[in-house]
Amino acid sequence: MNILTLLIFSPLLFGLVILLTPSKWRAGFKYIALLATLVQFGMSVFIYCHFKTGPGFGGVNQESQFQFVQKLHWINLDLGPIGKMQINYVVGIDGLSIALLMMTSLVLVIAALASWEIKSNLKGYFVLFLILDMAVIGVFCALDFFLFYIFYELMLLPLYFLIGMWGGARREFAAIKFFLYTLFGSVFMLLVMVGLYLSVKDPATGNHTFNMVQMMNPANYDGGAVFSLGAHQTIFGFPARTVGFLVLFVAFAIKVPVVPLHTWLPDAHVEAPTPVSIILAGILLKVGGYGIIRVAIGIFPEVASAHAYWLGLFGVISIIYGALNALAQKDLKRMIAYSSVSHMGFVLLGIASLTTEGISGAIFQMVSHGFLATMLFFLAGIIYNRVHDRGINHFRGLAAIMPKYTAFVMIAFFASLGLPGFSAFIGEAFSLVGAFKSNAVNGELPYWMAACASLGILLGASYFLWTMQRMFFGKVNLKGGAVWQTALSDLNLREKITLVPLALVVLAIGLMPSLVFSKINDSVLALVQFLHLK
Amino acid sequence: MEQFLPPADSLTINITLIAVLLPLAAAVINCILPGKKNKLAGWISTSAILTSAILSALVFSLIWNAHPVHAFIHWFTIGTTELNAGILLNNLSVLMLLLVNLVALPVHLYSIAYMGHDDGFKRYFTYLSFFCFSMLALVVADNLVTLYIFWELVGFSSYLLIGFWFTRDKAVMANKKAFIMNRIGDIGLLMTIIIIYSVFHTFDIDKLFGKTSIVESVLLLNRAGWLSPNENNWIVPGISYHLPIIWQYIAFAGIFLAVAAKSAQFPLHTWLPDAMEGPTSISALIHAATMVAAGVFLLARVYPLFNPVELTILAIVGCFTAFMAATIALAQNDLKRILAYSTISQLGYMVMAMGVGAYSSSLFHLVTHAFFKCLLFLVAGVVIHQVAHIRDDNQLAIDPQNIQFMGGLRKKLPFTFIMAIIGGVALAGLPFTSGFLSKDGILTQTFAWSAGKNPVFELVPVFSVLTTLLTAFYITRMIVKVFFGELRIAPVVSTLKINIDDGGWLYKLPMLLLATGCFFSLFSANPISAGHSWFLSGFLSGSAGEGSYTFLIPVSVTIASLLVIYYAWVIYSNRANPFPQRGILFDIACREWYFDTIYERVIIKPILFIGRACFWTDRRVIDGFIVLFAKAAILFSRIAAFIDRRIIDGFIDLLVKLVRGIGNLVRLFQGGRVQYYLYSMLMAIAAIFILKIFF
Repeated sequence: MNILTLLIFSPLLFGLVILLTPSKWRAGFKYIALLATLVQFGMSVFIYCHFKTGPGFGGVNQESQFQFVQKLHWINLDLGPIGKMQINYVVGIDGLSIALLMMTSLVLVIAALASWEIKSNLKGYFVLFLILDMAVIGVFCALDFFLFYIFYELMLLPLYFLIGMWGGARREFAAIKFFLYTLFGSVFMLLVMVGLYLSVKDPATGNHTFNMVQMMNPANYDGGAVFSLGAHQTIFGFPARTVGFLVLFVAFAIKVPVVPLHTWLPDAHVEAPTPVSIILAGILLKVGGYGIIRVAIGIFPEVASAHAYWLGLFGVISIIYGALNALAQKDLKRMIAYSSVSHMGFVLLGIASLTTEGISGAIFQMVSHGFLATMLFFLAGIIYNRVHDRGINHFRGLAAIMPKYTAFVMIAFFASLGLPGFSAFIGEAFSLVGAFKSNAVNGELPYWMAACASLGILLGASYFLWTMQRMFFGKVNLKGGAVWQTALSDLNLREKITLVPLALVVLAIGLMPSLVFSKINDSVLALVQFLHLK
Repeated sequence: MEQFLPPADSLTINITLIAVLLPLAAAVINCILPGKKNKLAGWISTSAILTSAILSALVFSLIWNAHPVHAFIHWFTIGTTELNAGILLNNLSVLMLLLVNLVALPVHLYSIAYMGHDDGFKRYFTYLSFFCFSMLALVVADNLVTLYIFWELVGFSSYLLIGFWFTRDKAVMANKKAFIMNRIGDIGLLMTIIIIYSVFHTFDIDKLFGKTSIVESVLLLNRAGWLSPNENNWIVPGISYHLPIIWQYIAFAGIFLAVAAKSAQFPLHTWLPDAMEGPTSISALIHAATMVAAGVFLLARVYPLFNPVELTILAIVGCFTAFMAATIALAQNDLKRILAYSTISQLGYMVMAMGVGAYSSSLFHLVTHAFFKCLLFLVAGVVIHQVAHIRDDNQLAIDPQNIQFMGGLRKKLPFTFIMAIIGGVALAGLPFTSGFLSKDGILTQTFAWSAGKNPVFELVPVFSVLTTLLTAFYITRMIVKVFFGELRIAPVVSTLKINIDDGGWLYKLPMLLLATGCFFSLFSANPISAGHSWFLSGFLSGSAGEGSYTFLIPVSVTIASLLVIYYAWVIYSNRANPFPQRGILFDIACREWYFDTIYERVIIKPILFIGRACFWTDRRVIDGFIVLFAKAAILFSRIAAFIDRRIIDGFIDLLVKLVRGIGNLVRLFQGGRVQYYLYSMLMAIAAIFILKIFF
């Protein structure tokens, strides 16, 4: 049994167990879900430790260099004269996915621990949770576009119900907004996927294929096919490959989210229960960034290179615009949601630079933000569970009544605003280094972009510290008075167990960035080399 | 990646490493120590810093005027770029290493007594040790990335300590302000580092700015800048000349912002007076002696980077800051705020000195200032504590930091009084003090610098002399108001119980230690000339001054200072203040040149407004568009539903009705009566015939 396949589908087994367990034992469901995520985390650690590095393991466009690969025939239809329809089950990882995979499996453990707050309809909740778990892991492992697409769409379904059924007051609205927003992007992605399928032939069998790695090799395209590099086909008068890139980019940009395609995020976050917020911010946004690197840029590198300026510009806009919005927020969760928009802007900027520093920085920033957003949303959830309020102005002087909680909030805030020693600093700094260098290396981005983006770091300090000062410092003054004061107890054991590993991880990868970089370096180098070959 | 080092050097490196890491270890131990007021915490931190001080003295003796030592290990690789972390020991770094320890040690001792009754005793020492670690690591960091890391950590520990009493609103406003102001400098520094990296492809300080450095060799070719090859297109291999020349100035602006933020220079100085909300011992260590000097240290580290234009800007800004802060200090009544503005003013001197090329004098002033200003702050701490005692004993509602309520304390606090005099005299720069030696060097070189330049540049030395006189004035005013005359609240409150003293050895010893650093003897054998000081010989660049100035200026400035001091003493001890407490000039000085008001109106409010506007855009425009889209979709679906029901279905209905109508009509013919059949047959035949006839 291939360990990646096991990693992807083991949650389903546990989900099945929960489904078959009678509801009167519902108190045990959360432990089963936790066990599922822990097993998965254990497997990820195993994969991480056995992940080989070196020039021979770059991956990206070399299928033979991927690791833990499993390739199975899945759907084979003989279509007579048209040829054979060939859809394979291909999973495998390289440096672009290993760090995100590792991060995802840890975040899922945290999300399972955060699910303790769910009180209603536990069976449904945990089954959906585990389906979602399978889908997000699958996305990072799939190498076949068809498989990727299935996992990608499969994420939406559980999320829709998780937000719509276990969310806050306006949950239905938020759920449908989120669902339609993301579906809007992925529907067009389907068309591009089919177009690519019809353009690419597996050199081994001569059949059309959905294999993403093969889509990266221009030699595999049919001479006159719609997405063929040499054919210069057009769609509605625009070059076909530009349209294809644009469609894929928009689909993933909605996920990232890139301003102005981000407005689903604040609503979804505010309404979603804590564990779903964690998965949304911690993992789902990274699917967007990962998709841009692996799929959009990987398959259409020359288009990405030609339009990197616009990618970078949208990155800078996201950074500044998200930060300014965060500054205006009065709801803690919404503030964190906008800060995510700002931080993910660095990812886009780093990617757009198409330099090793920039792309490594972007991946690092994704990993770092995965942990930090998890921590931030978990912390916001703690206070919401206690008093069912998140208004920043409704609290004051929390440091005096919840000192341990405040300590973790400080760690999370300062780590997020890029204090060196914590992970976000490395990610942001090297995204900026890459963005600045790119003009000299490949001429993609103008110098001023990095300079403007650095303003986001300043604004980040402003909104986090302002929130800190308003909510946690000063004399105790709560909107709910004495009732709140008794309700606002300090962290309990479960919360500490959840927060300590997160704090340690962001510190560890901040102090030893090689934990991430050593695994991703070869692939990033391979990717950059591949981009420049075109 | 380990490079070869002789055993002696690697021993030095290890000693340094221990000296730097000991405070960190103390911070970690204190962090896990039980009890909020655990007295052990103070001694753990103090013994760490004591050991660290001894070790750094050893390192100092090994490195000073010997060869620099540089050791590093591989930290991580990103792409093909290797990042190292290491220690660079040269004269500058060992000097700072020793200085930080020498100032931190008395402050630790003092803090044990000063913070003894505070509920956050343990937390205080955790933060303090963490600060010491960051500061020590900052001065020995060997590459720009690690330098930046500790640069920010120093700011972070300052944030923690300013807001130490986090239930006080003013304190938490102040620490937020301090951190954000410092962040402006941080992104400046970050941009500069990125620019340097993209030009020189290395972060290594030794390679960049050391003796045989890249920057030096680049500047040999082109004095005006390192970004472009000179006219003959001689280029230094390994350097990318791809940036337009403007980026050299942007890099300078970044460094300048960093310096202005950390060392509280115009226009980013406003956080420092507010930072006085922290414990006074912290103000003494961080906001007078060490952290605020980091900006000047940075200038010294990257000094080869600047071209003459940039240096001139530094000189002008430093001079302006020195003068501005001194005028503000004249009109303040808060004891710590006076000292804070005095610090800003003295830092202005150091920056100005860097600008005029008085590299070594600037560092010299940094060192001497650290001692006397730290001493003055410790004095202020004692005074504030004792006045607070008077307040509590008598249940008065006075601000213990306001010098208007003080006076006559020299009788009650004789030791503190003497210490204040020593510190004050050193600050005023009178002969026989260390302050005289360093200030003298700066002033003479400023005059030498302006000679032969455009007369406009004469303003720099003129204003710096003026600042010296203002300094003498405000420090006299402060000391007279605090220590001379009679206690000002005594006549108002008839039954005043005064039960105060200088405090125990934990107060006295630290001040005594710092006071020894305020005299000339530590730095030079000659009390009135630093020309042959061991200190200045440690740095190559910068000279002790030009011939004609070295005599004239110190003598005239000293005489003028003495006159000013006498004048201030006369007017304040007689309470015959001839200055009106109103008017534009007074308002400007009292309101601190309106910087806070201007920043609030011009920067903070507009940014918050833009933030709200963005949020409005987000809700109304972007989301509005989405909602419009959704509504349009619903409208279209309604139209489709209407068409479906009325038109498509309507057509089907019509068809049905038509069929039914025809059926009904036809049914009439099937009545079953023969007459009708016959009749209809006739009608049909008649119709056929009629048709036949007409067509």
